Amino acid sequence: MRPEKGDLTEPRQHQSTDLSEAEAIERAKLGDAEAFQVLYDKHKRRVYSLCLRMTANTAEAEDLAQEAFLQLYRKIATFRGESAFSTWLHRLSVNVVLMHLRKKSLPVVSLEETTQGTEEDSPKKDFGADDLALAGSIDRLQLQRAVDSLPPGYRTIFVLHDIEGYEHNEIAKIAGCSIGNSKSQLHKARMKLRDLLKMNRAEKAGKSRAG
Amino acid sequence: MNCVELQESLAEVEDASSGEQRAHLRACPACTALVRELDLIIAAAGELQAAEEPSPRVWNSIEVALRQEGLIRRSQAGGTFIPSFITRWGAARWLVPAAAMLLLALGIYVRRESQPRQLAQEATVTVPSASASDLDDSDLMQEVAANAPAMKTQYEDNLRQVNESIRDAQGVVDESPNDEEARRSLMDAYQQKSMLFEMAMDRSLP
Repeated sequence: MRPEKGDLTEPRQHQSTDLSEAEAIERAKLGDAEAFQVLYDKHKRRVYSLCLRMTANTAEAEDLAQEAFLQLYRKIATFRGESAFSTWLHRLSVNVVLMHLRKKSLPVVSLEETTQGTEEDSPKKDFGADDLALAGSIDRLQLQRAVDSLPPGYRTIFVLHDIEGYEHNEIAKIAGCSIGNSKSQLHKARMKLRDLLKMNRAEKAGKSRAG
Repeated sequence: MNCVELQESLAEVEDASSGEQRAHLRACPACTALVRELDLIIAAAGELQAAEEPSPRVWNSIEVALRQEGLIRRSQAGGTFIPSFITRWGAARWLVPAAAMLLLALGIYVRRESQPRQLAQEATVTVPSASASDLDDSDLMQEVAANAPAMKTQYEDNLRQVNESIRDAQGVVDESPNDEEARRSLMDAYQQKSMLFEMAMDRSLP
């Protein structure tokens, strides 16, 4: 099931206070330290997880989460409540990460798109009956590792669409690419993930046979 | 539609619901398996949404930055101090923040003073409490270690750095009492130390 886009509410909140989010926002606008922490506690996992998925690097993700929250707090006085706070924070966090990727000169959208794909990514490969099927469910940790090993361009689109729930028109706007490009990158990312997961299963099967 | 065309078409119609796609899938087990596996990946992706917890370092750094930028003030809500800190230190719990605030007040006074020589004397006056200051540091670190071991290293680093800054800046002020920049650095260092104490007492610990 597709996640609710931009819903950054923590699944489990560890708050030391009963402040509601609306109250916390209003108090944070006045510089209340406790309110800042309430907002951080409420949204830290989603923001950090987003950063981690898009960078595949713990230290970078922490720095980016920190930057996202700092930007949030600097701008919170301008939040008027037209959109959900979590959506606002989510978009801000995505922008922080994309800016970071651009500064690192990592392609936000894969450059391979402009060359009509590579041999590896073109849809010529057919997995026949001999392949290990991805039956049942996919192990979360394995998928996480596979996502981390995607090229940055593919990873960005996959995270935004399949993990964070953005639509292609939104991704095109955020990432500065065409809608068609976003769709194509996403499909290639999924195909690549499928390959990675199958390779992983094949390796495991080989090891268990050898053991 | 052949297998290659089917795979290409999935970028546009990802749920394989078009008539051509369905016709091909009815006759092709390999592509049917492909579509099923892609669906599995999509379903599993949603579970990755918010699984990770950032380290305490992140909030610690955010709070330091917010205080340095003057974006936050102490909460007016009561009962926010660390309970164990209060119970263990009793009435003496006020000594650390009071000392920090005294340092801060002295720093502001020194900065505003107009006579450079007097400034140097005032600045020097704040330092002899180095041994007392060290004692406060160790007490504070014991408290941090007891209540939030994960943050102990962060606090140790911050305290070490700020103490070094104070020592360095004081050395320069001693050598050049008229150096406005050095005096400012010294006061900034004291402010940072005061801020660290305040944070540890106030809300940085979970």
